[in-house]
Amino acid sequence: MRKSVRLAVAFVLAAIAVQAQAAPKKTYRIGAAVYGLKAEFMQIWVGALKEHPAVKDGTVKLTVFDGNYDALTQNNQFDTMVTQKYDGAIFVPIDIQAGAEAVNKAAAAGIPVVGSNTRVNSDKLLSYIGSNDVVAGEMEAEAVLKGIGGKGAVVILEGPIGQSAQIERRKGNEIALAKYPNVKVLEMKTANWSRAEALSLMENWLTAHPGAINGIIGQNDEMALGAIAAVKAKGIDPKSMPTAGIDGVTDAILAVKRNEMVSILQDARAQAQGALDILLRKLAGPSYQPRSEIWAQYAEGMPWGDGTAKVYNVPWTPITLGNADALLKTRQK
Amino acid sequence: MIETQSPALEAPVARAPQLARILSRYGIILVFLVLCAALSLANEYFLTWGNWANVLRQTSINGILAIGMTYVILAGGIDLSVGSVLALSGMVSGSLVTGMGAHHPLLAIAAGILTGLTIGAVNGLLVSRVAVPPFVATLGMLSVARGLTFIYSDGMPIPNLSPGFRFIGQGSLLGVPMPIVMLLAVFAVFYFVLAYTTYGRYVYAVGGSEKSAKTSGIRTRLVTFSVYCISGALAGLSGQILAARTTSALPQAGVSYELDAIAAVVIGGTSLSVGGIGSLVGTLFGALIIGVINNGLDLMGVSSYYQQVIKGIIIIAAVLLDAFARKHRA
Repeated sequence: MRKSVRLAVAFVLAAIAVQAQAAPKKTYRIGAAVYGLKAEFMQIWVGALKEHPAVKDGTVKLTVFDGNYDALTQNNQFDTMVTQKYDGAIFVPIDIQAGAEAVNKAAAAGIPVVGSNTRVNSDKLLSYIGSNDVVAGEMEAEAVLKGIGGKGAVVILEGPIGQSAQIERRKGNEIALAKYPNVKVLEMKTANWSRAEALSLMENWLTAHPGAINGIIGQNDEMALGAIAAVKAKGIDPKSMPTAGIDGVTDAILAVKRNEMVSILQDARAQAQGALDILLRKLAGPSYQPRSEIWAQYAEGMPWGDGTAKVYNVPWTPITLGNADALLKTRQK
Repeated sequence: MIETQSPALEAPVARAPQLARILSRYGIILVFLVLCAALSLANEYFLTWGNWANVLRQTSINGILAIGMTYVILAGGIDLSVGSVLALSGMVSGSLVTGMGAHHPLLAIAAGILTGLTIGAVNGLLVSRVAVPPFVATLGMLSVARGLTFIYSDGMPIPNLSPGFRFIGQGSLLGVPMPIVMLLAVFAVFYFVLAYTTYGRYVYAVGGSEKSAKTSGIRTRLVTFSVYCISGALAGLSGQILAARTTSALPQAGVSYELDAIAAVVIGGTSLSVGGIGSLVGTLFGALIIGVINNGLDLMGVSSYYQQVIKGIIIIAAVLLDAFARKHRA
């Protein structure tokens, strides 16, 4: 009895809260400055942001700025947001250092900035939501090292040297490797996140070390997929060559379904929609309740709290036969 | 491998008997041989057939682009759009052979080549009819074609290409991988056209001096138009091979490939500053030199930092040696 009363009260309060929120019909003008729209991951990120309930119902007027992989372009876009008096910004910087200047500029103009996906070296950032690349590097290496039985030799395909994701994923790779003293790293070289480059590099490595390579650690999915193509071209069954990548791009999910690789999903949806909720919490005040489903999904690993944490770490999800189909469904339009 | 290439060299000799030109051509082959000798001493696997299959496969895309580029540069132009055209064509054909209701691979290949040809024709019209400088016209097209690729694909790769289509990247014919078969076939056809047909001579003539070519009755605009069509169509073909090799059509494929194609042409002794001087044999060896450098340095496990420096130095050295040979033996 008492329970149901409490439930009813909660419902009424919730209804009032929703009303209160809807009543002023306040709309927010928000800019999302992303480093570039030429790869699948950022496409998924932007697509997810546009699916956020607040964008769909018009509460948020969203403008997406394509940074075209250039720090200066991103800086100029922040100038635009400042002069046009945006209410807030979500920032996915191309460069950890150069991005700080843009954040400071916005902060000085009173525009709160939430970082998402890639880090920026500024204490003026309202909050940051992303995934810890060290953890992913460790998870993927662990999967390969386990897959080859803890001994033998592996090769590592690295991201563009000096990018934060490459640095941190390598750190993670090394943490895992330290646990397996009987595994030798035969080669470690950059293929610049590129499938075509990784394909050529792997072909050459397979020739240079005939029969000696037991596993492949790709610091992203694209490169792992290129390596798999080289392995297949060599007439080797990819199932006998444990391979891992990171990000969970569509092609990789398909390869996981064929049992050819391990991939670890970086949840672009959580990073994008989460960032908007954190920003809206700042703009609307303490009464704001997050509207994206992702907070329920990650209630365990990434609690909302009161929406004011400095850092939100979106957990990584290994892609398995169990969740592959559900993920593929979200990719179809 | 090398021996089979040299007899082909004798052919252009009859056509262009200048001693300097012949020797400069041997110069580039000399560079190639020295490079191969050094790499085979440095690595035991370098001279194996398996490795040469790698080198040739990896050279096929740049080689085919460079063949088209040679025609354009010989005719006094430049084509900066090939990398973007490659991506767009790969996307168009990829979209025809993915998932359910995949079309016949030949239809997709035709569509891809036609896409490249169309873009090439626009380049050709801009240069030959509207008199836009080739550098500007194709620089603009580099951006337009890349943009169209992203619009067409919405920035996403196209996976699940049909096995029939992937054959052109991953299959082999009589034991020879398909990309190599295609490179050799394209080379044979375009070598023949350039060396033995009237049209080939027109290309040289237009590049040498458009004015004298015109006064001697050559339809120079048509020739100029045609070389961009060839370059576009071959870029389209390369796009298919890349997509088939990587098993997906990728929107960011081929970025800055035009630079490697131009490098191959230049290393091969075709003049960037004056049209009408150069040959396809030189271009083939230019592309092979780039391929061998990449492959050899990977085999030896040279760090990617040094690899870029070494590659650049070898490119400059190859061209210097070529110029040196030309000057001193003329």
